[in-house]
Amino acid sequence: MHRRFAYGYVGAFMLVAGGALGQAKPPGAPPPSAPEARIARQSATPQIALSPALVQKLASTDPEQLRSGLDEVRLAGKGAARAVPAIVAQLERGLPYTVAQAALDTLGDIEVEAASPVIAWYVRHRDLEVRRAAAKALTHTKGAIAANALRVALSDEDPMVRGTAATGLGAMKAKEAVNDLFVALDHHVNEAAGSIGQLCNPTECDALAARIGKVPFDVMTSGLDPILFRPKAEVSDDAKVKLVGRIRELGTGEANKFLRDVQKRWPAAWSPRIKQSIDQGVLATAAAPGTATGAP
Amino acid sequence: MRTVIGTLGALATFAALATTAAGCGGGQTQARLFSTEWEDDGGKSIEALRLRIKDTHPVAGADVAVGVAGNADKILGLPLGGGPRWTFAHPLDARPILATSVVVGSGGGELFALDAATGHKLWARPTGGLKLHAAGDDGSVTAITLSRAGNGPGSTLLAVTHDGGVVRQIETDKSLGAPAVLARLAFIPWGNQYVSVFDLSDGDEAARVLLREKTSRAWTVGGGLYFGEAAAVRFDDRIKDASHSQATRIALPPRELPGTPTLMTPGDAYAGPVASAPDKIRLYARPSSPDGPLGWDSDRFYATYFGLVFGFSSSKGALRWVHTHGSDVLGGAAAKGSLVLCDEQGKVTVIDAESGGTVSELDMGEPVKSCAVQADAFHAAGPGQSPGTLASQIQHALESKDLELATGQRLLLRELGTMEDEQVTKTLIEMASNPRTSPALLGDARTELASRRNGAEFMLDALSRHYDFLHGVLRPLPVGPIAQALAAMKQTQAAHLLADHLLDPMDTDDDVRQVAAALVTLGGSFEVIDLKRFFAMYRAAPAQPPPDAIADAVVSVGQVLLRQGGADGRAVVDQAIAYGMTNPLVKERLSALVQAADAEKVKK
Repeated sequence: MHRRFAYGYVGAFMLVAGGALGQAKPPGAPPPSAPEARIARQSATPQIALSPALVQKLASTDPEQLRSGLDEVRLAGKGAARAVPAIVAQLERGLPYTVAQAALDTLGDIEVEAASPVIAWYVRHRDLEVRRAAAKALTHTKGAIAANALRVALSDEDPMVRGTAATGLGAMKAKEAVNDLFVALDHHVNEAAGSIGQLCNPTECDALAARIGKVPFDVMTSGLDPILFRPKAEVSDDAKVKLVGRIRELGTGEANKFLRDVQKRWPAAWSPRIKQSIDQGVLATAAAPGTATGAP
Repeated sequence: MRTVIGTLGALATFAALATTAAGCGGGQTQARLFSTEWEDDGGKSIEALRLRIKDTHPVAGADVAVGVAGNADKILGLPLGGGPRWTFAHPLDARPILATSVVVGSGGGELFALDAATGHKLWARPTGGLKLHAAGDDGSVTAITLSRAGNGPGSTLLAVTHDGGVVRQIETDKSLGAPAVLARLAFIPWGNQYVSVFDLSDGDEAARVLLREKTSRAWTVGGGLYFGEAAAVRFDDRIKDASHSQATRIALPPRELPGTPTLMTPGDAYAGPVASAPDKIRLYARPSSPDGPLGWDSDRFYATYFGLVFGFSSSKGALRWVHTHGSDVLGGAAAKGSLVLCDEQGKVTVIDAESGGTVSELDMGEPVKSCAVQADAFHAAGPGQSPGTLASQIQHALESKDLELATGQRLLLRELGTMEDEQVTKTLIEMASNPRTSPALLGDARTELASRRNGAEFMLDALSRHYDFLHGVLRPLPVGPIAQALAAMKQTQAAHLLADHLLDPMDTDDDVRQVAAALVTLGGSFEVIDLKRFFAMYRAAPAQPPPDAIADAVVSVGQVLLRQGGADGRAVVDQAIAYGMTNPLVKERLSALVQAADAEKVKK
């Protein structure tokens, strides 16, 4: 099923001015434009000003000039939020594929949500490398538009785009995407397991656990591990004990290995009840075939 | 020319016949028999003979299917009327031949005949190494053609009564076709144009007729006697005019058929015990009546193509039905009102001539290597199950992924394309969208879809679908052909749906090109923002060697923006022309469009 987005139109961004990258704003430099300033204000990272030379590069219609400008911006990373409107404007006008890819990578490095709408266009680009770059960038820029675009990207033809989308949805805490992630997991988008583990409510976590034995265990552990280490407010002790029990019931060497790994990392101050169930699980599966100490 | 005739009652072994026919007791040579020096008698002899036997009618043959099973060492018999199955174990070196009331077989150095209804052995004789070619029978005497002794051309004809008595033998350097027997007269086609009537009682050539088309077979069916191979010439009161092409004749209408099947194989050909591809690609038809106007029974002829069976109108040549069979069809016969087929699984299926519905299924009990059917007086019991509409039958036939069927399926696709039914459009969309559709058919399905001029609703409905990995839509919609068809039908309401497809990366480049071209034709209302976005994302796409589908699409979208995008659309195109990174070829073509648009404006 195709979904259309109500992407925000970001044509309002206008590149006006900037300061020298990594330097204080030079005296006499023009004041930042409204979008630039707004974006800079939203960023928690101290922002650098854009130099006129860089501004010129970012507005250039010469691919090499623009690429050089993007390289400079990437050095500043999150601190280059003021460059976002200029890069967005370039993507809106359209770029050669390789330059578009560099622009998307740059926006991903800056991690400003305001870039998500135009990046979302490119996650539906015909060129695979551009789509991959856009999906990756969205996982960093985040926001509702990014989440919607990544939910659509779960249905992409390319496994890497699907995997990036699944991972990104978990990273941006897109709880509304859990159902889509389950569908993706059932279609062998293995990265979805980890994201479900990060986002699931008790019922959804149960649904994930019910896939133990059906989905390869190494895929499942990427989702079970975050569930076990989520705070009590999100996943109750009872649910965690039940989950450990399910893993223990597998009675396999890989279950033992996983529980031993969790055992090692279990914070001392955390629930002793869960710790006990993990310890018992490790003991119960110690003799399972394939364990380091168990029978072959 | 050399022809030797013998009365073979005294012949000890058939091997002796094979090697020294001239020396057999009672042998005599008749210079007239099979002589090419014969002069056309204007039909006198054949008319005299016809009058002589006009009250004698061919006996009805046993309605039976026979198959070669095991390692070509077993004949299975299955009476179509419901009698008990029979089995006859015997090595086989040739295809058993169903001839009226007998089955003639050979193998293990022996020629033998079985009662076709029961499988009981009637007689056997040594073959002397001769290969069995064909046989005809009148219920009491069987005429059999075999290869000639040695490797030279020619044939051996043997006439044997059902009790095993050899009535006549003829060895000739002429290649004899498949004979028919009526009233102890053997009708023997030869030289591809003659039928000599050989009187088995006195060994004389009683009559001869010259036909003006390829004739290698004589056969009886439905009470009539016929000659021909690709057509049927009836033995009736007009046979005397055969040399003037005035005999009662019927042929199948010419039409495209998969694998160029034939109605009958040459009557002088040897067939091995195991079926091959030509057995699976065949035509079947049955002359309608021994008297009166001659047509094909039920206005039908049938074609098989491996596991596909086609029923055609014999008067118009139009496809009437398609039966998709579970396995390859190896043989069959057109019965009165039905078609009886046997397949490699040993199943015998009766199909209603009119509808193509399956009337009944019988089973020979095991898979077969080859098979044959004789359905002379057989009548199918009832009209059979409803096979659905022709469009649905074709759709079912097209679902098979068997690559062997591709040629037949392509013909069906073309047939489908000629149908006015709107459902056909739906079928074509489904075929072109279905990942299970054979790649060999996909291109044809798309071509037929593009040429549809109805079923727009199905197309509009389909346009809302897009590639979707998670929901199992794994082949992009055939949006290009749909766009072409909708544009030709002036379906302006399709515009916004088509515009949406511009932004679907899974649609092929060529489909996107066709979508953009359709938008130029259609106009209509759509979100200009979609067009602007497409234009932006691809105007700087790397140039490809022509045909550059994406560049074409960008130019088409530019054309639409100029026409329907107002000042804003014009500005977008102007910027693209001025912008350094725009693909130079696109830029050039856009400039030409702008100039043309300006010139148009000035004109107005």
